[in-house]
Amino acid sequence: MNIPSNTPPSIDPNELNELAGEYVLGTLDAEQREIVERQLSEDSQLQDAIQTWEARLQPYAVMAEPAAPSTSLWQRIERTLDNEETSAIASPRSRQIRAPKEGFWNSLWRNLTLWRGMSFASVAVAIGLAATLAVGPTSAPSPRYMVVLMTPQHTQAGWVIQASSSQQISLIPMGTFEVPPGKALEFWTKADDWSGPVSLGLVQPGQTQRLSLKDLPPLEDNQLFELTLEDASGSPLNRPTGPIQFIGRAVEL
Amino acid sequence: MTDDAATFNKAGFGPTGSDHTGFDHSVALEACARGDRQALQRLYVQEGARLLGVVLRIVGDRGVAEDIIHDAFVNIWNKAHTFDARRGSGKTWIFSVARHQALNHVRTRHREVTVDDDTAERLEAERSQEAATDVQDHFDWLGHGELDRCLGQLSPERRNCLFHAYVDGFSHQEIATRLDRPLGTVKAWIKRSLAALHECLS
Repeated sequence: MNIPSNTPPSIDPNELNELAGEYVLGTLDAEQREIVERQLSEDSQLQDAIQTWEARLQPYAVMAEPAAPSTSLWQRIERTLDNEETSAIASPRSRQIRAPKEGFWNSLWRNLTLWRGMSFASVAVAIGLAATLAVGPTSAPSPRYMVVLMTPQHTQAGWVIQASSSQQISLIPMGTFEVPPGKALEFWTKADDWSGPVSLGLVQPGQTQRLSLKDLPPLEDNQLFELTLEDASGSPLNRPTGPIQFIGRAVEL
Repeated sequence: MTDDAATFNKAGFGPTGSDHTGFDHSVALEACARGDRQALQRLYVQEGARLLGVVLRIVGDRGVAEDIIHDAFVNIWNKAHTFDARRGSGKTWIFSVARHQALNHVRTRHREVTVDDDTAERLEAERSQEAATDVQDHFDWLGHGELDRCLGQLSPERRNCLFHAYVDGFSHQEIATRLDRPLGTVKAWIKRSLAALHECLS
């Protein structure tokens, strides 16, 4: 059989077709989906098989009744793209030779205005804390980041992450959090181009913890952080299984 | 197509509702890749409501669905340069970006194998409205695409499995609950249906 060299020789065409079909249909579980998506970038045979199923099934997607998006959705998309463009200009790929940046307050405010529905009190507390962190004793040359972890409804800030370098972070509580008996808070992070979140371990509510990210790539703008409620021993899988309690993205200062 | 099936899914609309507008998705994507923001907006105007419909059906929550459409359009913009018109249509590409984001969301959020209580209740309610022998089509599937002929060779129950997965974003377990069939049976049906469709087409 004629198999492209970048495909494992063991893959049976029928199995490949079935895997691609189930992926497109949506019946694979999260773990299987992640494996397929990781494999996809380097397996042209899998790409073709998936593309074939997408094309076959897509016309049937119209069976879902259309729903008019709210009027603000397009503006939100544009805002995100504007913001991405601004940060792409402000921070070229090599972070060592960065262009002079706008002032700290302007940058913080620009990012804060994007946090929809955040209560005024949370904003005030977050700005206050960020300011204290930003004028701290360190004057490291590497980019500095701040993350405010909000409740998923964006109503309350629960934690702030300060990064003293791109690999050392502190997770600072802004209040108390009741962990139900038999449960624990687990801390996760994921940069935009990672395939899945990585655990940073269990977290004690109400306590500041310092963490080293030395096994991970340097912290980057927009990197996602979240705290999920897991069993006391942490998630049984290598990804979150419980509900998100606090979530936020890194903002470069 | 039976009357029951037709009334079950009023949401379905015929092929004239899909894409005979002459809009060229591939051209718009290529313009996006060159940085033409208006091309993205044209795609949004053209497909936003249909994409939101597809995503909403899968995630079931309007706020979440709009967040996914937001992320999908940001992704479409950022990945437009990877779109290759020789490999497939632009429309298919756009829908697959949004749909897979929705699927990843529901599969990650509902990682447990069992169906949560709310879903189970809803499925139970839907099921009780149907006859004991549930062999009607749940979807108004005919007349949408080239797969029609091959889908017609499957039994209604097997078609239901495929469309509850594809359109509703149901997991194997959710389909099994909805159809009141053992999980293993549903898995086997889907596997064999995919193989049969593939063979029918090739």
